[in-house]
Amino acid sequence: MTILKLNVLNLDKSEYKGGKSSLCPGCGHDQVSNVIIQAAWENGLPPEGIAKMSGIGCSSKTPAYFLGKSHGFNTVHGRMPSVTTGANMINKDLSFIAVSGDGDTASIGIGQFIHAIRRNIDMVYIIENNGVYGLTKGQYSATVEKGSKKKKGAINEQNPIDLCAMALNLGCSFVARSFSGSKKQLTALLRAAMSHKGMAIIDVISPCVTFANNDESYRSYNYVKENDEVLHLVDYISHFSPLEEIDIPEGQYREIELFDGSKIVLETIGSSHDTSNIVSALRAVHEAESQNKHVTGLLYYNGEMPTTTDALGLTGTPLSQLSEEEGRPTFESLNLINNRLRGL
Amino acid sequence: MKSEVNNFIINIATANGTGSQSSNLILLHSMFEMGIPVSGKNLFPSNISGLPTWFIIRASESGYQAPGDKTNIQILMNKDTWEKDIAKIEPGAIIIYNENVKLPVEREDCKIFSMPMTKMARGIAPKFAKLMANMYYVGGIAHILGIKSEDIEKSVSSQFKGKDRAIEMNMRAIREGISYAAEHWGNETTFSAERRDKDPDTYLIEGNEASALGSIYGGVNMLAWYPITPSSSVAEGIIKWLPELRTAKDGGTTCAVIQAEDELAAVGMVLGAGWAGGRGMTCTSGPGISLMSEFIGLSYFAEVPGVIWDVNRVGPSTGLPTRTQQGDLSMLYEASHGDTQHIVLIPGNVDECFEFGWRAFDYAERYQTMVFGFSDLDLGMNRWPTTGFVYPDSPMDRGKVIHTQKQLDAIENYGRYRDVDGDGIAYRTLPGSGIDPILYRGTGHDEDGIYSEEPDVYHKNMARLRKKIEGSRDVLPAPILREEEIKEVGIVFYGSMEYTITEIDDILEQSGLSVSTCRVRALPYHSDLEGFIDRHETNIVLEMNRDGQLYGILRRELPVKLLSKLHSLAYSDGMPPRARLYADKILQLLEGL
Repeated sequence: MTILKLNVLNLDKSEYKGGKSSLCPGCGHDQVSNVIIQAAWENGLPPEGIAKMSGIGCSSKTPAYFLGKSHGFNTVHGRMPSVTTGANMINKDLSFIAVSGDGDTASIGIGQFIHAIRRNIDMVYIIENNGVYGLTKGQYSATVEKGSKKKKGAINEQNPIDLCAMALNLGCSFVARSFSGSKKQLTALLRAAMSHKGMAIIDVISPCVTFANNDESYRSYNYVKENDEVLHLVDYISHFSPLEEIDIPEGQYREIELFDGSKIVLETIGSSHDTSNIVSALRAVHEAESQNKHVTGLLYYNGEMPTTTDALGLTGTPLSQLSEEEGRPTFESLNLINNRLRGL
Repeated sequence: MKSEVNNFIINIATANGTGSQSSNLILLHSMFEMGIPVSGKNLFPSNISGLPTWFIIRASESGYQAPGDKTNIQILMNKDTWEKDIAKIEPGAIIIYNENVKLPVEREDCKIFSMPMTKMARGIAPKFAKLMANMYYVGGIAHILGIKSEDIEKSVSSQFKGKDRAIEMNMRAIREGISYAAEHWGNETTFSAERRDKDPDTYLIEGNEASALGSIYGGVNMLAWYPITPSSSVAEGIIKWLPELRTAKDGGTTCAVIQAEDELAAVGMVLGAGWAGGRGMTCTSGPGISLMSEFIGLSYFAEVPGVIWDVNRVGPSTGLPTRTQQGDLSMLYEASHGDTQHIVLIPGNVDECFEFGWRAFDYAERYQTMVFGFSDLDLGMNRWPTTGFVYPDSPMDRGKVIHTQKQLDAIENYGRYRDVDGDGIAYRTLPGSGIDPILYRGTGHDEDGIYSEEPDVYHKNMARLRKKIEGSRDVLPAPILREEEIKEVGIVFYGSMEYTITEIDDILEQSGLSVSTCRVRALPYHSDLEGFIDRHETNIVLEMNRDGQLYGILRRELPVKLLSKLHSLAYSDGMPPRARLYADKILQLLEGL
């Protein structure tokens, strides 16, 4: 007899799985996919209510490998945010989980990334950040550190783009950084992101085992493990089972209530970080950077920002479910308009 | 000498941003309300203020709507184009000029009248003298044509709706202009405007506003747009009419509007909307279509519905942004890399801008693909008459969408991209439904939507896509045929050339030819076109571009036996078509055959 572990919807975790991955064995992205499966299952999201979105690249292929019972759209390079925006306008009840890479987001898609943040689109935006273009065989991306040297080829001479710093400057309502190898932290952050209403960005350092896992690379497993500047320990308490057992260690901790009533608990280690303060979030990012480290944890959170669907004042029913009568004005209304334009 | 009644062309030369547009529209609407067959054309620069603008008003008892070949009454207001404007005037014309510009008008072969327009305007509104000066030429023209100030009042009121003081001041300026002209210019009777019975149903409206209203009646759920001349007024029209027409019972709107960061994002949002089961659209012009091309290919290949209105301006590149052309047609038909083919609806008048505005969504959802509305600056940004828009005659066609598991189970051997009905159109399910959840993709996919690079799978899928769009030919709007009994010359044309074709036809028939016309209203073209070409001895494809874009499409798709009957007349200089110019070129072409 097998005992199944079921979530709040009485679903087994297998209901959240996807197809077999075709990425390189050991790829950080596959670990992220597993965390997505875990987080969606633990949060009890109905699979049919999720929409998986992606652009083009290794990371953007992954929606085929998780949440097989959810619709998805593997769009074009760098333009996933706009497709998500359009879909969000038409069905605001969908939970959008988007996966992108550093090439997809920081180079070709930087404009759409910026404007999706400005609109506070209600979505989880995961960047699987490895500093290289994998599918085209290892060119540098715009997030790679200056002076980086791959196994083969020239040294990168350009300054990197820090996507978290950028998101913070743009006023993104949820900004976090994590590491594909930190399963516990990433799961808690992702669960919190799923409970957030608005744009939740998680920049996940996800090593490329084929092209950038040499020890000198700041995004190799070994380097990140040793240079992970953990802001706080993160725990997630879901709204439907507030008695879920978690470890609350001694010391200071902060509790944040999310849109759906769930909570995230941040236990401070070292200097205390205020997640409601953009300046201290930026300081944490830049200080870590200056020491060639990666700061991880929840950098910033603001649950008060209106989303685009709120700001536009859309009707309550998702637009995809409107009847013909609600979508097409009446015969009489056109008569009225014709007569008004006639000057009658 | 007998006066020429309701047959004249007025050319008003002003500078952009000086407020002349109000005066010009007041003149146009006043004559229109008097029942005079009249058309107006705004030739404006790509500039906010200062560069030259011309407004052409043509009255024609024959109902001709093109700008005409020569000017009968020239208004001179712009010092920058003063000499050039004077040089272009043909002998015998009437010249009215603002004497405060302080430039000479030396044309002994014309009738010249002047008025101190700016000085007189200063008497009414010192601060706005430059704007108000334009109302004095309205008065001058009214005097020359015998239009009474009462005939102008209604148009002034509607132009300055609700602003009583503006109405009063502008009417005063017009009256002063009329009195001044009567006193100083004497009795000029060469041209006159005479009241006719106006069809009370007719009104003037811009093509872009008609497309906007049509889209709203088509149930648009999301408009994503990026500003670009000459299409912005489609979006602005939708934004203007939405609150009145599309507010739900709970007070919320049933159409989201997003001003995107660029055209790539705008069309991406359209795909997102279509994928999620809504009616999304954008509007743009040629440069925008160039940018959107990648997504247009995704729409074709992943089979996601969407609507794009292209209001054509002159290309290539930035081109002449405020001039008109039919230069985007072949691009629309085949936009994006690889083999593609898109449905293009081509309205020829404002009524069709409205009609194709709502029909576009039905075709997009029926064929699960991108559908273009193809208008141009001339049609989109000028005011044209209509007798009133006609309410959609059929319910919305939402296409083959499966909403329940039961519906899905009833289909034998279902697959997202499997042609179970034999028409090339597969069934789709929507995100949120939980039914047949697949990952839409722009990569190769098999009939179930699973990634595939198999040669046969790719080839079969592409063949089905062709079959699907081919199936739309005789469903899309059929061409409008106007055939003579003697099938000598057939002219195949499209779009806004509709407003000039009657005059071209008349000029050609005056030279003894028997001329039939066929207005193509959609691509892929309807089979009726083949019959038309077959019945006529010689066929000319008439279009406003350099390369003969429709001609090129027809050469590739028509049966070979018809090709020897087909000739191209393509000409574009940025200006709206002038009948004489195109007619002469057709005659030349025929002579050379």
